Formats: sequence, C-alpha cells, structure tokens
Amino acid sequence: MNTLANIMNLAIAAGAVIALAGIGELLLERTGVLNLGLEGIISMGAATAVIAAQTATTPYTALAVAVAVGAAMGLVFAVVTVVFRANQVLSGLALFILGVGLAGHFGSSVAGSLPPVIFRPVVVPVLADIPWIGRAFFSHDPLTYFAFTVLPLSVWFVLTRTRHGLNLRAVGEDPAAADAAGISVMGIRAFYAVLGGALAGAGGASLSLAFTPGWSAGMVAGRGWIAIAVVIFAMWRPGRLIFGSVLFGALISVSFVAQDRNWNVPGPVLTMLPYLITLALIVVAVIRLRETRTSLAPAALAEPFFREER
Amino acid sequence: MRVQLQRRLDISPRQTFAIRLFGAGAALLLAGVVLKLAGRSPVAIASVAFATTFGTRIGFEEMLTIATPVLMAAVAVAIGFRARVWNIGVAGQFSMGAWGATLVGLHFQGPTVLTLALMAIAGAVCGGLWALGPAWAKAKLDINEVVTTLLLNFVAVQWVVWWATDMWADRGLGVLSATYRVPTEIPRFPGAVLLHVGVLVPIALVLILAVMFRSSVWGYEVDLTGGNPRTAAHAGIPVARRVITVLVLSGAVAGLSGMIQLAGAVHRLSGTLENRYGISGFMVAALAGTSFIALIGIAAFVAFLLHAGIVLSTQAGGITVNVVLALYGFILLAVGVAEVATRYRLIVQPAAPRAPPQPVPPGGTS
Repeated sequence: MNTLANIMNLAIAAGAVIALAGIGELLLERTGVLNLGLEGIISMGAATAVIAAQTATTPYTALAVAVAVGAAMGLVFAVVTVVFRANQVLSGLALFILGVGLAGHFGSSVAGSLPPVIFRPVVVPVLADIPWIGRAFFSHDPLTYFAFTVLPLSVWFVLTRTRHGLNLRAVGEDPAAADAAGISVMGIRAFYAVLGGALAGAGGASLSLAFTPGWSAGMVAGRGWIAIAVVIFAMWRPGRLIFGSVLFGALISVSFVAQDRNWNVPGPVLTMLPYLITLALIVVAVIRLRETRTSLAPAALAEPFFREER
Repeated sequence: MRVQLQRRLDISPRQTFAIRLFGAGAALLLAGVVLKLAGRSPVAIASVAFATTFGTRIGFEEMLTIATPVLMAAVAVAIGFRARVWNIGVAGQFSMGAWGATLVGLHFQGPTVLTLALMAIAGAVCGGLWALGPAWAKAKLDINEVVTTLLLNFVAVQWVVWWATDMWADRGLGVLSATYRVPTEIPRFPGAVLLHVGVLVPIALVLILAVMFRSSVWGYEVDLTGGNPRTAAHAGIPVARRVITVLVLSGAVAGLSGMIQLAGAVHRLSGTLENRYGISGFMVAALAGTSFIALIGIAAFVAFLLHAGIVLSTQAGGITVNVVLALYGFILLAVGVAEVATRYRLIVQPAAPRAPPQPVPPGGTS
C-alpha cells in the first residue's frame, strides 16, 4: 500500500470509535441532554471487552458485554440527570472520572496482553481490488463498516424522515411544548441516554478489539472528549459528524505513519497535534456559523426539564 | 397519610453544604460496602490510612504537601464556579505554569526571593495564557469551555514531555525523562523534613478571595454573571469580559500552583508532575459549593484520601489511584443528586378522614 492509501485506511479505522460514540452523543444532545462522561464509558467499554474476550469464543460476545456495560452507564446517567434532574455537567464529569477509574482498576488484570479473540478486517471482494482507494475503503473490521454505513444512514433517516425524529428534536428544542403535545420528555431523553451509552461502549470495544487490540491504561487518550468536540464541529448533523470522524482519524494516522517512517518530527509534537487541530476546527466551524447567523445547537441543551416550572 | 414533594424557592448555603456532606458521606459508605463485598476490610484500610497519615510526623508532612496543589486546584475551579464557568483544564494550566517556572529557574539565578518571585510570575502568566483561548471561545463564540479546557490538558502534557525529554533533558544517571534540577527552592519550615512554606499560599488566596467576593464590586458582578448572565447584561455588566477575566484568573492560580509544586516539592519538570491534582481539586470545589472557606477543610480531607491511597497502594491488597478516582466519581454523582434533593421539601400530611364525619353527639365536644 502506498503512503496515502495507508493513511486513508488508518484514518477510517481510527475514526470508527469517534463515529460510534459521536453518533450516540449527537442523538442525545439533540434531545437536550449533554453527556460529558463519554470518555469514561469508552474506557469501560474497552476494558470490559478485553476482559470478556478472555473467555469468549467470538469477538461479538465481547462486543455485547461492552455494549451492555455502556448501556448500564448510560442508564445511571439517565437516572441521575433525567429522572433526578441533577446538573448534567457535574454528573457527566462524575461519570468520566468513575469510568476511567473503574476501567483502570478492572483492566489491570488483562493489561498488556493480546485478547484471544479480536475483530479482523473483512476484505470486500472485487471492490477492494480498485486501485488506490480499494484497500483504503474496503478492508476494515465489521464494526467499522457498521459505524460508517448502517449507523449514520439509519440515524439520519430517523432524525429527519420520521415522526419519532421530529418528536426527538422537539424535546431538545422546546421540552415544555413537546410535553404539552403529549410527548414523553423523560422517556425520550432516558432512552437516548442509554442508547448513547451503548454506542460509546461499542466504541470502546472497537478500540480494544480492532484498532489497537488489548487494554492498556490511558489507551482511550481523550477520544471521548474528541467525540464531543466533533459533535460541536458537526453542528449536530450526522453527515458532518462522519466527515469529522474521518478527519480526526486522519490526524491520528498521520502521526502514526510519521512515527513509523521516522519523519523527524518530535513524538510529543505529533501526539499533541490531533488535539490542537480539533480545537482549531471547532473554532473555525463556529466562526463560519456565526457569519451565516444560524445556531444549530439544540435550544434546550443541558437544561433539565422541570414540568412544574413552566 | 399524604406524602408530597414541594419545591423550595430559596436554599440557605448552610442547607446546601449539609446536604453535600451527606451526599459525600453516603458515597463513602457505598464505597465501604463495595470494598467489603470485594473481600477487603474497609475498617482495616481506614485504620491503616489514619495511622500512616496522623501517626507519623513525616506522614503528616506528606499529607500537607499533597494538600497544597489540591487546594490550589480547588481554588482555581471555585473561582470559575462563581461565574458558572467550568475550568476542567487546571491540570494543563498547572503543567504550563510549572514549565514557565522552569524556564525562569533554569536560566536565571539571582537572590532567592527575587528568583522565586519571577518564577511565580512566569507560572501564573503561563497558566493564565493557557486558559485565555478557552475563555475567549466561551465568551465570544459560546463554545463549551469544559471541552476546550480539557482537550488542552493533553496538549500541555505533551508540551512538558517534549521539553523534559529533549531541550532541557538531564541525561544523567538515575534521572528518568526529567529536566535538570531547578536550583532555586521554596524554603522549608524550620525543622520540617518536607513541608515548604508554599502551603501558606493557597490558604492566603482563599482568605483574599473570600473577602473579594464578599465586599468588592467586581466579586458581586461575577456572582451576578454566574447567577443569570442575561440579567447581568441588562444591569450593564460586561458579561463577556467578566467571564474571560474569571477563567484567566483561574488559570493563573493553577499556573502558580505548578510553580509552587516545582520549586517546593519536585524541583525537576517531568510529564508526571501533574499527579491528578486538577481532578482532585475539581471534586473539592464541587463539594464546597460556593463557599471559599470550606475548600480548606475538604482539600485536607481529599489529601488524606490521596495520601492513604499512595501508602496503601504499596501494600498487599491495598487501593490504587484508580480506586481513588472511582471513589471521586461516586462522590460526585451523589453530590449531584443531593444538590437536587435540597431543592425539594418533603411534606407529610396526616390522613384526611375518608368516612363522612360522625354526627356530633348532643352536648358537643368540650
């Protein structure tokens, strides 16, 4: 593979975790709930996937465990912020610290070893033989294919083409009006908190069973925060989120390739660049949005809904 | 009997504080139960923790040395809370402050007091500048400051690692990925083995800030900005400017903390200098609510937990830093829920009679 195709292939593989967790976060934010605990959920997903893989016969069992753990953490977040209506920023940060701590604790038993079962690339026949782009796009693990095709397409369809999608957006824009129209604000928000957790758990599994197989402390390295940043960059639209995920993946893969081929750039500089460029991209995206004067952020984002306060 | 929840309109600070402590206590209790279920004895762990921290002089000095950066970080976060700005980038600002102090300390050697003063200024300036970007993005573009400050932590750590392993690297024997030793040090208390006078800085800061927010116009305006930015803007307060100053001031405190840790305790810049003080300080500030004075006691308690964690992690069946982090998470979740609980009052009314009232017997009730 030539360097460019190599970078492109790595970019898609590295972007999968951002796409999975980011789509879940995007949906949840569209209902007006901000979950800052993604980093913790991804960590837990990654650690529990490797632990489950020790006794599993297929990677799908390990994936299912990670998804269940992520959903459980999403449920905790839903109970705390949607049912009890605690401060979402504080609760999200609590989930972040809790998840990172628990994942480090439980993961230490399996740290550093290659899991017995992992996801392997599935090469699409014929398409993969296309020169230049074939290997870049059609040689990935199943979870990555899912993250970039089925998931965003179905989310786009539900969000923009169904009544449920309309209800979902109404809850995020004006919960009081949605409530008056008979939509269950609490039900929708809780459901998407759990779904977002499950997807972040799957993102963790894609990291520890496919991209960099195995668990090591600090392996998530801020990807949960990057996912939240990419949701802002995407202006809460699924299509742009997928674009942003690949873009971030490309930043990661450039530094991988540079280290691999001794491009004579200091390692720490290569490691810090993806974070810096992500930050710059958000600022540019928001400034451009200001010029067109349309705010796409859900109006009720991070606001708890108290029916009795209407 | 009828049980009803009624919303409270105003909550006294004392109620808030009590309920937060209750939440933290509940979380600690839960952690004890979890430890018990995992086959460990929470009582034994607690007694070892007490014995090692308060039983020996060196343990007590170690605890106070840990408390210094924790309290500094808590002060930094608490300043932001007054304007409802979340500074989760204390770790990064701390690292940049330590870097700035090292820059001065390695290249300038004058009288101790002057050098220390210059190092402190460099630390505060670097920390403040590190917070300026997120502050500007928050105030002018409404970009969530949690995300920006946190992502910059990763950048700051790599920046420090770069200088510590490249430009300023001490390649001498026994030095692992760290810079040359900064010769100028914060003096220790007379007779102390570890404890340096830098521990007084956060305490002084707490007192100054408590007075500033009680009796200065600036403090009042910041509080108003945090309470309701729209009302504040209508009252003629430059909200954006207040938000920027608050976050930059918060970053400067974090940067100064990095300088104190470097010149007081560690003396060599390295990637492991920021030992989760930022996140610990965040939890302290979240527990203290809006009270500056409360920070001191809670920071001491958290330093006790951290010190216990360090001591116990070296013993068999002990607790690691990960367990401490998980415990923080539990406590913060409990605090979040408890905070909501303060907004409600439980009303229990005696049962209303269901049966029609009995005819009053002749003569009536006396």
